[in-house]
Amino acid sequence: MQPDAASAPSTPVVEVNNLLKRFRREDGALVHAIDDVTLTVDPGDFVVLLGPSGCGKTTLLRAIAGLETPDSGQVRISGRTVYSSAERVELPPERRDISMIFQSYALWPHMTAFKNVAYPLQSRRGRKLGKDEIARRVRQALELVGVGELERQYPGQMSGGQQQRIALARALVNNDDLVLFDEPLSNVDAKVREQLRFELVSMQRELGFSALFVTHDQVEAMELAHRIAVLDRGRVVQFGTPQEIYRRPATRYVATFIGAMNEAPGRVVAVDGSGHDGTVTVETEHGRVTGRTHGARHAVGDRVAALWRPEHGALHRSEPTAPNRWPGAVKAGLFVGSHTEYVVTLAGGDVRLWSPRPDLVAVDASAWVSVDVDDVLVLPEDQSSEQPQDAPAGELATAS
Amino acid sequence: MTATLERPAPPTPAEQPRRRRRLPGPFDSVTLVIAAVLIGIVVLPLGRVLVRMFWVDGALTIDPIRRTLELPGLGGMLRDTLILVVASSVLAFVIGTTLAWLNERTNARMGLLTDALPLLPFLLPPVAGAVGWTMLLSPRAGLANSWLRDLLGLVGIDLREGPFDINSWYGLILVMAFYAVPFVFMNASAGLRNLDPALEEASRLAGASTWRTLRKVTLPATAPSLGAGFLLAIWFGIGMFSIPAIIGGPAGIDVVAVRIVELLTFTFPPQTDVAIGLSGFVVVFVGLAYWLQMRILRRGRYATLGGKGARARTLDLGRAKWPARVLVLGYVFVSTVLPVVALVLVSLNGFWTPDIRWDNLSFTAVTTAVFDDRTTLTALGNSLGLGLVGGLIGILGAAMISLYVARRRTALARGIDIAVKMPAAVSNMVIAVGILLLLAGAPLYLSGSLLILLIGYLALYLPQASIAADAAVSGVGKELPEASAVSGARPARTFGRVYLPLMVPGLVAGWALLFIRIVGDLTASAILAGTANPVVGFRILEVFTSGSFALLASLSTVLVVITATVLVVVLAYTRRMSKLGVSASVGGVK
Repeated sequence: MQPDAASAPSTPVVEVNNLLKRFRREDGALVHAIDDVTLTVDPGDFVVLLGPSGCGKTTLLRAIAGLETPDSGQVRISGRTVYSSAERVELPPERRDISMIFQSYALWPHMTAFKNVAYPLQSRRGRKLGKDEIARRVRQALELVGVGELERQYPGQMSGGQQQRIALARALVNNDDLVLFDEPLSNVDAKVREQLRFELVSMQRELGFSALFVTHDQVEAMELAHRIAVLDRGRVVQFGTPQEIYRRPATRYVATFIGAMNEAPGRVVAVDGSGHDGTVTVETEHGRVTGRTHGARHAVGDRVAALWRPEHGALHRSEPTAPNRWPGAVKAGLFVGSHTEYVVTLAGGDVRLWSPRPDLVAVDASAWVSVDVDDVLVLPEDQSSEQPQDAPAGELATAS
Repeated sequence: MTATLERPAPPTPAEQPRRRRRLPGPFDSVTLVIAAVLIGIVVLPLGRVLVRMFWVDGALTIDPIRRTLELPGLGGMLRDTLILVVASSVLAFVIGTTLAWLNERTNARMGLLTDALPLLPFLLPPVAGAVGWTMLLSPRAGLANSWLRDLLGLVGIDLREGPFDINSWYGLILVMAFYAVPFVFMNASAGLRNLDPALEEASRLAGASTWRTLRKVTLPATAPSLGAGFLLAIWFGIGMFSIPAIIGGPAGIDVVAVRIVELLTFTFPPQTDVAIGLSGFVVVFVGLAYWLQMRILRRGRYATLGGKGARARTLDLGRAKWPARVLVLGYVFVSTVLPVVALVLVSLNGFWTPDIRWDNLSFTAVTTAVFDDRTTLTALGNSLGLGLVGGLIGILGAAMISLYVARRRTALARGIDIAVKMPAAVSNMVIAVGILLLLAGAPLYLSGSLLILLIGYLALYLPQASIAADAAVSGVGKELPEASAVSGARPARTFGRVYLPLMVPGLVAGWALLFIRIVGDLTASAILAGTANPVVGFRILEVFTSGSFALLASLSTVLVVITATVLVVVLAYTRRMSKLGVSASVGGVK
């Protein structure tokens, strides 16, 4: 990561402060598309906005680009205020000096690849580049994304992957500090998508631009991001590295949205110690479950949920000695190649666990399940994630 | 950093003036002015008609209404109008829906042939069709009647006239229906195309027969489209002037639209009061049709399209496939080709007689009638000029408004959109009368000028321009201009480099439609033109009144040739452009 000469090393590329955008649906319900979002993207950062459809991630991206007008809040790009409700500032998109890749690529069908890529170079205000200079930089950008031979072709004559690369070249040609991506990989097939993802990461690391990338695909988010912002109904519910998001989800919503998760609701019956190493024991329908508090405060009697991932569970033929152990019966063993997923029926219902050994326990046989105390998360029973995204808040609060 | 691309110079603080929020830029301001003018030339005349109905010479009065009600034969005229409009709309509805169903849902479809041909009457001037049908089915001299008599003679039936008479109820209803069919066909086709095929498939799987599925699922689910088509046919019928004038007049069938023109143009002194009173009837009738349709449609819930591009599996008609195709092509031949053939034959023959001298056809008559006649030549020049200029102004103005409406989704934008499309719901006749009242006399004295005609045409055909411009704008989509803005282009540059090139085919197509409408117009021409500012439509009426049918055929032929030429050239151009991924259609014909 290389700080730009013009901006001090500490100046974030994007600062979003208390941004708010609401709109009224046709049935009269008020929807918070962006609900008091505060977010920072540092120079060279690759930030992914992750969430299910309708969570407001695209609206947030478009508000940063200037394509949507928020209701209130502030957006600064490279230290420059581009939107502020308090100062009554709103710069149009063409004055924000950013680049964007659209979901549909948005290549102009009446222009060749060359003209498409040259367009941003010719359009920026206050700058006049020579013809040769433009040609040189367009070719450079096309070479960079590996489609130098396509410059005379029209978008209609290209494959989806090729169009995607032209769109990328067009976004990179100005070498802006910030490039916005609106689910750009959702329209290409799986193989091309993986390849483009890999190239995108190496290009971003090499060129050093900051990226803000919208997707609903958690695998894509994990692979691309330095940091992931998980969105739920217009709010950022967690902002952290992929590892943090996966290992220490802040809420049940994040925990269950990213990867597979076993959940057991219950009440706290014992709290032992505090700080990072403290443990908390929960009475669930499976039996008692003990996990780490990770600094969170719990009191005896609190309604919480104990959660652990299938890869952390272990299956035994006879009773193990671990503190978290429960008897049950194997309901199914699903061989998926790299591992076998066992579905085990415990007292409180089914749990899933992954084992590399396909023949550990026969189906219908009784078995014991255990999980390490370090691998159990205890989270407050927050608003459930199973509700539809745009359900009124009142219904959500009562759901449990 | 091993970047291979240079960074742009950072913007200097001096070039970051802060923009106040939501202030219309110069581009929007110009658009709003244009919108105000275009809406004004429709709304002001309409208002003028309504005011004039109750306010004469500075005093509140019901005199115009009283004098209208005292009009001899008013009841008969209203009854005739109602019968004509309803009967022809019902006939058009049956024909249009059948054609659309055969084309969209069965294997009788023959690509472009059945997609586009039923729409042709939409593009041909109705006056040419009316004259053509007179040439074909006039009881004595009608060409088709004469051919039929020859045929009947072979089987021993000798007739001196007939067997058909175009100047009759059935003749008038038939020709009116032919010209109303495209409105139904267009809407029904769109409705059937957008209907989720799964709805029909589910019905079939539930055990319903083809016929039952059609009756219980397809037709009810497409009711809004079918209803809209029927309503358009009704509106078209109420405002239609040229066909009832030419076919209904000699049969003694008296309709409101024709009477209004007679009172204003062919009566001396013009009976403006009564014409306005009759216009009031038209407004009420149009509103009633709209209200009825809304009431009927509000009762049900209607399914619209599911997945896009999913063309329904078509129904195999089996042995009925070719008869169905023959039916469709036969309809096109009878409704469109035959009258044009009659026009061309009569004008090449030189005079109207059933005995066509096939070896002696020549352009002499056409040349004498059209190009050696000073008045006709002037009228032709005026019409072409007005079509060119009016089409250009109309489509460009409509394009700017469409762009504004598409970009700003405010209440003002929606209001402008509705106002621009409103004349479609008001009879052309009433707007033309209003423009005459407003502009012909003091203080502007535009009577007899080309300007009053230009304003009239613009007001009348604004909705069609607006619909064509909407199609052109929506074809560009949202993300292409957004990508331009993010690339750093100002709105004017985005307009010039992205919107305009992508919209040009659509705008050219829209211009062509306006040109065809203006050149073939009879409504505004009959009311607003005169000997000082003749246009083709006015000249046709003059010639018709004087009874010279060969000349009438020649004029109509020239009109058809001009229309067809513009249509073919523009369609060839838009089809070529569609290879670049930019598509356009002239009134639904691609």
